Amino acid sequence: MNQDDLIKQYNYDQFIPEKFNPWMRFGESPALWQPAPDFPLWTLDNKETSLSAIWSQHTYTVVEFGSFT
Amino acid sequence: MNSLAEKYAANDVGSIFLYTHEAHPGEHYPHLTSFDQKLRHAQALRDIYGVSRPILVDALDGACHRAYGSMPNMTWIFNKAGRPLYKSDWTNSDSVENAIFYLLNVLKRRRDGERMAPFHVERIDFRTQDQKRFYEGLARNGPRAVEEFKNAF
Repeated sequence: MNQDDLIKQYNYDQFIPEKFNPWMRFGESPALWQPAPDFPLWTLDNKETSLSAIWSQHTYTVVEFGSFT
Repeated sequence: MNSLAEKYAANDVGSIFLYTHEAHPGEHYPHLTSFDQKLRHAQALRDIYGVSRPILVDALDGACHRAYGSMPNMTWIFNKAGRPLYKSDWTNSDSVENAIFYLLNVLKRRRDGERMAPFHVERIDFRTQDQKRFYEGLARNGPRAVEEFKNAF
């Protein structure tokens, strides 16, 4: 899948099973206690940071993933 | 989750909200087509829902979200070394607080000199289903979001 198709399919335009079900992959998510994958993230004023920069700031860090609903 | 963040901040527990994509795109908050739009949705989320935790935004292709399982409202807890200690496919503040309480006690037991080894545990937690509040959220996205959810299940 090329990048444009990936962006389009990940940001699906309708909540219908054939569009949202393929993304539900919690069973394939990183294992506990193993080094977790790091990714760039952005602040609301569009400054780049990373997940590792966040988790390295505190003894524990709670990360809630979500959107409007 | 906001009050939980405030409650445990003094224990050096950090909390962030990671904005992903619109799980239920509607007329008011449609599917994302640009990173600028993604930033605007995340800012609106802060203003409308009053998220007081720092909000960070994933890449437009959801690289981080996809790598962690793509669930619409999951929660993970990491230690300072980047090892996940808790993951939940749905966010529930009671479940998260239970984990924080346990993990803070692990620190205390270590400080007290106890030798410990990690082990894996799986369990099912339970959450209240607040349908009224959920549908209010869908309606905020737009009538199409409500209709599509009803049709999907």
